[in-house]
Amino acid sequence: MNGRAKIDYDTLVKPDRINSRVYTDPQVFDEELDRIFHRGWVYVGHRGEVPNAGDFRQKRIGMQPVIMVRDGAGQVHLLLNRCRHRGAMVCNEERGNARAFRCAYHGWTYKLDGTLAGVPYPDGYDESFRREEFGLARVPRMAEYRGFIFGSLSPAGITLEEHLGRTARELDMFAGLSEADEIEVTAGVHKYNFKANWKLAVENSMDGYHPNVTHESFVNAIMERIKNHPSPEHKAAFDPSSFSGGGYGIAKDLRDGHVMLDYGFRIYDPLNNDPLPSVRAINASGEAHLAELGRRTGPERAADMLREGGTHTLIFPNLILIGLHMRVVQPLSVDYTEVCLYPTTLKWLAPEVNAIRLRSHEAFFGSASLGGPDDSEIFERIQTAAAADLEPWNIISRGMGRERPDEEGYLYSDMTHEITQRAIWRQWKKIMTQEAGAAATRKRTSRASGARG
Amino acid sequence: MAVERGKVEQFIYHEARLMDENRYDEWLALWSDDALYWVPCGRDDIDPKREVSLIYDDHTRLETRITRLKSGVAHAQDPKSRMRRVISNIEIEEGANGEVTAFANFMLAELRRGVQDIFAGRTIYRLRPDQGGFKLAYKKVLLVNNDEYIDNLTFLI
Amino acid sequence: MTVARAKINYHALVKPDRVHSQLYTDPAIFQDEVDRIFHRGWVYVGHRGEVPHAGDFRQKRIGMQPVIMVRDGAGQVHLLLNRCRHRGAMVCNEERGNARAFRCAYHGWTYKLDGTLAGVPYPDGYDESFRREEFGLARVPRMAEYRGFIFGSLSPAGITLDEHLGRAREQLDLFVGLSDADEVVADCGVHKYDYRANWKLQVENAMDGYHAITLHDSFLGILAERARQHHAADDYKGQFEGSRFAVTRDLGGGHVMLDYWNRLYDALNNDPIPDVEPTTVAGRAHFDELVRRFGQVRAAHNLMQGMTHTLIFPNLILIGIQMRVVHPVRVDRSEVDVYPVRLNWLSEAVNATRLRGHEAFFGPAGFGGPDDVEVFERVQMGLRADLLAPWLMLARGMHRERRDSDGTLIGERTDEVTQRGIWRQWMKVMTGDAPARRPRARAHKPAALRHAEPVGPDLR
Repeated sequence: MNGRAKIDYDTLVKPDRINSRVYTDPQVFDEELDRIFHRGWVYVGHRGEVPNAGDFRQKRIGMQPVIMVRDGAGQVHLLLNRCRHRGAMVCNEERGNARAFRCAYHGWTYKLDGTLAGVPYPDGYDESFRREEFGLARVPRMAEYRGFIFGSLSPAGITLEEHLGRTARELDMFAGLSEADEIEVTAGVHKYNFKANWKLAVENSMDGYHPNVTHESFVNAIMERIKNHPSPEHKAAFDPSSFSGGGYGIAKDLRDGHVMLDYGFRIYDPLNNDPLPSVRAINASGEAHLAELGRRTGPERAADMLREGGTHTLIFPNLILIGLHMRVVQPLSVDYTEVCLYPTTLKWLAPEVNAIRLRSHEAFFGSASLGGPDDSEIFERIQTAAAADLEPWNIISRGMGRERPDEEGYLYSDMTHEITQRAIWRQWKKIMTQEAGAAATRKRTSRASGARG
Repeated sequence: MAVERGKVEQFIYHEARLMDENRYDEWLALWSDDALYWVPCGRDDIDPKREVSLIYDDHTRLETRITRLKSGVAHAQDPKSRMRRVISNIEIEEGANGEVTAFANFMLAELRRGVQDIFAGRTIYRLRPDQGGFKLAYKKVLLVNNDEYIDNLTFLI
Repeated sequence: MTVARAKINYHALVKPDRVHSQLYTDPAIFQDEVDRIFHRGWVYVGHRGEVPHAGDFRQKRIGMQPVIMVRDGAGQVHLLLNRCRHRGAMVCNEERGNARAFRCAYHGWTYKLDGTLAGVPYPDGYDESFRREEFGLARVPRMAEYRGFIFGSLSPAGITLDEHLGRAREQLDLFVGLSDADEVVADCGVHKYDYRANWKLQVENAMDGYHAITLHDSFLGILAERARQHHAADDYKGQFEGSRFAVTRDLGGGHVMLDYWNRLYDALNNDPIPDVEPTTVAGRAHFDELVRRFGQVRAAHNLMQGMTHTLIFPNLILIGIQMRVVHPVRVDRSEVDVYPVRLNWLSEAVNATRLRGHEAFFGPAGFGGPDDVEVFERVQMGLRADLLAPWLMLARGMHRERRDSDGTLIGERTDEVTQRGIWRQWMKVMTGDAPARRPRARAHKPAALRHAEPVGPDLR
């Protein structure tokens, strides 16, 4: 559109290496926004963040500001946060409860489903002005799975089910098999930012090679606790050798850019005081979930998962499920990113179990925690060093050629192998090199009333 | 027995200086065994059983925090932040058994990697008499920006 | 070096009844606006009353070009580019002050108040080909004044200021209460604010009669409450509704106004409101003329609160007693200077009341202005939602526009006649034949150097 040279992504992303320009070039960033965030399926939020009628949260799809709001009938809407008159944001708080959205500029008022309820002094418009044409623009496609709400700014494309593929099962495990409205996302939000490219956070979240080094201080802290508070429970829980190769954990490619780590051990118990609460359900629905989880994974593992987290999965491009939280990575510029962590509790778990979920989460995640900030530090070191581009390649070849299929055919490898990074980059390149025709059709939803020449 | 205001202030200033100077062990030694160190996230008045905090440390978690900071490989504090804070607006309430609740405002300049950030807030302390001095039993920090994006809060606040 | 840019098709973005959000968010359009509107046409710079004494100066801007507005010893006001002709440093580094000369801090080149180069240290470093007359501070090519309002144009050619002002000239007359240039005291301080949004949002908003009842509800509520307590009821809220008392008016040339009379600020002041009594003979003549035109009550009232509500395209807004100047800084960043004005033939009490009324609504801590600024930033953020419904609607009142008896186009107070007038002019400037730019080539050839110079690439 404005005469920039075309980028050849084949020269930037190879099977075993990537050129650091992908982290530093503003044009790459703009094209990512266009092709990844403004066309495909993007995670927006969970229904549990808006539990009551009128609840709303400000969200984004790429850089488009969006309102996620539950109306009086319980339906959740995704509306573009922009008055159809002269363009002001109509929803100006990050979260809250409203009966309508009234633009502060000229008072145009919209119902919770986005329809235009009224305008002051309507005599200023003649009969060609039809309110039905001026509701808040709707995100063209919206779909939900277990309350996880995804949106697409393109009216056409694969279904959410097709997009999620195998990861639907990981969403199930994350939720402890809960129904959508049994998942509570009202325990606050950890927010942090870093001066580096968004993809660094995505790659890092699915990296099983780094914990023993980046998080050495955290691992050591756990080992010291185990040493000082000997208990067979703690000793059995944590095996740091998994992070150095050869242990139990694996890294798996779930296709289409979705990836996961599977390590199946407890981490946070040693950081909490004894005794650990036993995991119990407080209603029949919960009992059923607990029993089914126990059948699938064994009751001990089921209890661990409910205390500490049921999965460790990336749903391309921006939703990360680790431990008990949903993590949403929000790119804002090529070298600045914001992240929100939504720790979850389950309606059917005993309150002391829900409380321990939060304590475990706080140990590792959040700006003041013992783990996450060390990752952010690394991202900023990478971003700064990317300027040294005489030798521009970052290597993602670890474990190449040693992948093997599981019983369903999904490739996996040792947890410290970079099978996950290679899978992410394969999908990234696929999308970035797609035909321009796949773009969202820019629907003109607004033909001006009574356009006069 | 009336509490000496000066003693309370000196304790608070001393704690602040230990934090500014990253003197972890000495700072940890100020705490009582039933310590609670709390920095709420999002609002000042959350229920920690139901909502997440930035910091919600009992003594166990406090020890772990210090262990990590002393390890030399806590990268988010490598290099360490340089800090100076000002404590002011101190108000004191006497409680039972010589316990004191103190309220104070602070402004902190924190410099790391060439970027100086300002943090500000209000702190609520509960001090318990101990061998002529005090132990710190409770500290709640209400950050002005606890609902904002914070890139790094791993120094002592 | 200009980067070749794909030509933007403004006809696809500006329609009679709507405009596209790209106009507020695209840095390329911003650059084009700065070039065509601010760096070629007539732009308001400042009022002579801001530099009342010999040596007084103020830093100003024409578009992005830093300019010094300075009064010399003979009382003449100059507009000089604020850049040393040697190696380019700003020579005037305070926002306002009084000087006898401008001396560059880098190498000491010194300029008189009229911009001529007075001297350089160690002139033996230059031979006889170096002629001081060629190295004065660059002058803004055209400067013209009306009732002390000083306008500049960075293009040496184009329409006159008189032609530019057109019908808007009368509003300048009224703003100063028919005062002569030196009866206007523009030295009363400046309210400054900036905001993270496009400059056109401030310009459109200042001439918007639809938003007051909604956006400034808190302010109107205060007025209504005070009025209930202290005055016989004027219906303050009613003043802004619908079409009573007021019209929106397009004066042509991009100049637009809200034509109303509201008693806005009385309720905020403590009784009694001072009488307007001119304190000079000249002032008495002005006042009598105003009374002849508007009647005693309205003439007195408007001298207290302001006689007009007008935009002088592109960047001068006259509201109440203030001159407001809008500066584009980046596509999503703007700065605004607000100069409240006193008249030297009004009493001290009346002038003070003028200022107190102004403070109530305007300025970063006012009860009205900051709500506008908040909305500009909400618009700039809202416009990011530009994929699905990218238009801003300016259709209000299109079906009931009409010609007034003086030939100007008018609509009801809440209609968007004014915004449509602004955009018509905007289109004319952005798509029309612009006056020729000052040629980029140097006005003179560099002095031929007599001694050897290193052989190197031509860096011109």
